[in-house]
Amino acid sequence: MSSYSASTLDTAAALLALLGETRTEPRADDQLEALTLAVAADLPVLLWGEPGIGKTAALTQLAETLDLPLTTVIASVHEPSDFSGLPIVGDDPANQGVPMAPPDWAVRLVREGRGLLFLDELSTAPPAVQAALLRLVLERRVGALQLPPGVRIVAAANPRASAADGWELSPPLANRFVHLQWVHDPEVVVRGLGGTWPRATLPSLDPGRLADSVDHARRAVCGLLAGRPALVHQIPKSETRRGGAWPSPRSWEMALRLIAFAGTAGSSRDVLSLLVRGTVGDGPGLELLAFLDRMDLPDPELLLADPAGARLPERGDLRQAALDGVVAAVRNRPEKARWDAAWALLVRALETGAPDLVVVPASSLAALRREDWDVPAAIDRFAAAVGLSERADRAAARVAVGSR
Amino acid sequence: MTDRQELDREKLFAARLFAARARPYLATALFALHPVASERVPTMAVDRHWRCYVSPAFVARTPVEELAGVWVHEVSHLLRDHHGRSDRVARELGLTGPAERLRMNIAADLEINDDIFGDGLPTPEDALQPSQFRLDSDLLMEEYLRQFRLGPELQRIAWLDCGSGADGLEREWDLGPDGADGLSARQRDAVRFRVAEAIRARPGDTPQGWRRWAEEAFQPPQPWRELLGAAVRAAVSSGGAGDDYTYGRPARRSVSLPGIVLPSLRRVPPRVTVVVDTSGSVSDAELGGALVEVAAIVRAVGGRRDLVSVLSCDAAAQSVGQLCRAEGIALVGGGGTDLRTGFAAALRARPRPDVVVVLTDGQTPWPSARPACRTVIGLFARLGRRVREHDPDYRPDTPPDWARVVELHT
Repeated sequence: MSSYSASTLDTAAALLALLGETRTEPRADDQLEALTLAVAADLPVLLWGEPGIGKTAALTQLAETLDLPLTTVIASVHEPSDFSGLPIVGDDPANQGVPMAPPDWAVRLVREGRGLLFLDELSTAPPAVQAALLRLVLERRVGALQLPPGVRIVAAANPRASAADGWELSPPLANRFVHLQWVHDPEVVVRGLGGTWPRATLPSLDPGRLADSVDHARRAVCGLLAGRPALVHQIPKSETRRGGAWPSPRSWEMALRLIAFAGTAGSSRDVLSLLVRGTVGDGPGLELLAFLDRMDLPDPELLLADPAGARLPERGDLRQAALDGVVAAVRNRPEKARWDAAWALLVRALETGAPDLVVVPASSLAALRREDWDVPAAIDRFAAAVGLSERADRAAARVAVGSR
Repeated sequence: MTDRQELDREKLFAARLFAARARPYLATALFALHPVASERVPTMAVDRHWRCYVSPAFVARTPVEELAGVWVHEVSHLLRDHHGRSDRVARELGLTGPAERLRMNIAADLEINDDIFGDGLPTPEDALQPSQFRLDSDLLMEEYLRQFRLGPELQRIAWLDCGSGADGLEREWDLGPDGADGLSARQRDAVRFRVAEAIRARPGDTPQGWRRWAEEAFQPPQPWRELLGAAVRAAVSSGGAGDDYTYGRPARRSVSLPGIVLPSLRRVPPRVTVVVDTSGSVSDAELGGALVEVAAIVRAVGGRRDLVSVLSCDAAAQSVGQLCRAEGIALVGGGGTDLRTGFAAALRARPRPDVVVVLTDGQTPWPSARPACRTVIGLFARLGRRVREHDPDYRPDTPPDWARVVELHT
């Protein structure tokens, strides 16, 4: 009978081994890239996600990539004293005091000097434990121990809606985290269960880009806030916004740091979007991204300097914004040569994209003509665009008559 | 195909120019759309990556001004995220199949069409309007979806198809996420954000529907059940009530640390009083739904039934009763409201409640000072345009700062 069960166990082991044989494939993963950058930038990250969607797996992969030993602490099974330190009574408490002894994992982290500390299930811990943990996250202290700078901290919480006992961040605490929404991609899960899990290709920082990235980040944040001072500080008021990211000088500084890191790593705008919106909130984050888009538009002066070699944005709305910028540049410094160059640019835009985009810039440019400036030969090319505009006018006239 | 037709690009772009002139605040979005000629589309259709598929035959037979209306209609589907909302509705209600997606497309059309046309932009001939379905205008797609079924009279519009951008169902002509010239999720957000900014900058020029959209585009109203649940849970479980540490009895670890008093985990069940506004302006269905929800939340976080009382209140607090059965609550009232009496009655009870939850439409005066317990206010949402008050100048006080306010959408 015993030999029977032994062979059954062997078969079970073989079956398990077969099930464990999975392959990995490289796959771009924006949320993992955002997490990596925020951790590299040494900002506390809070992952919001339903239980069981792979937060722990992501942290394991992140630790491997950053080559940091991973320490997972399940917050909900600990007591507050595990984070604030256990009181140890000596011979003479009145004179020597009662030292607060740190737990073993903290001692190990300090000894190693580096590591990734993952505080899981923050939301199911009682409020007193959460309070003790927040001191750990914000001041990096466990009892009498100070965690070394080489330790990076990531926490995870269930979304408020599914949190069983009201885990809530007060606005000041929420302001210190980079909030990342952790969601699963059904496609990835199906493919993984089929035997192929994704292997994220993680960003690496390019030493050659450090100065440029910092400069770029400073120009973006300062440029935006100079024009929109109201965005500097906005405490969230509505219930929907509670516990999330909101703009303050502190979180703008975090956003600046993240833009510099994303720039150095060459990350996509989508990754930056996750980071920035998770740091200063959706509205201010989107304004910053829109500002970055405008910074990306080609410089009108460069376009005017070389109309023949100019590369205009493909997307219609961006292309029109670029052309509007060119016309504005000519208006600021009206010279015959610049005016001609602008026409050459418009011709180029006409040849390479939708004609309706050119109508408004062309009429504004025509209005800038001085008496002694000859109409450029290229103006013939605009017959089609003018026809288009007249056609729209005629349609408008028909509508006006019809509605009368 | 022998009747293969060239796309009249000039006409199509003249129409887009017309649309951008008639609706300047939508210009960014209109220009961001990438037109793709397609023979398989009945008229014009969009996908979620902001491509606009155009039938050359449709362009040939449609006048410029009507084409402009279709441009605006299609871009509205994208701006209002109808594909994402359709996917969510489909998931939540378990709606599957092309017929349900057609219903979503129709409901989305109804949401759009009642206020995008007119004022220089002619209504396309076969644009669906809520009045054709004998429905109110100014509703959202989700609301329309609940109010009609596909019947034989809808057969004539079965060809209607605004593409996957309108209802989330992939079409055979879609170029997919990897196709050329699509907008990424972030770029889509950026375009929507800029349009919302343009509308907020000049609210006077835009119809009510667009203003509401601009307000909510990046602050979607969250499901009230979840928000109310979070607020009530936070109120009943934060320090002083619920699970927390107490020195009232020593911790189990104390045996290993003689001489030290460690706190132990104790459950202090919260006492919750629900004050229900039973004035005429709140419907029984709304009240019933919210009340059952609150009772369920309180029980889920450990409040025993005997610790939850319900008090109905109009001009005077009517009755205080123990909540024994969710369905056994007598709600008395129907006149005007003064919730101050409700608060007073709730706080007079001994022992005092830890948390007061108020369910109201907000048409009431509020206590001037913070009551001596945590307060959650469930506010039945009344969009301004739907309130038909007898006195147009009447403005109720807004809920006070000291309460957690959750808007309840029914």
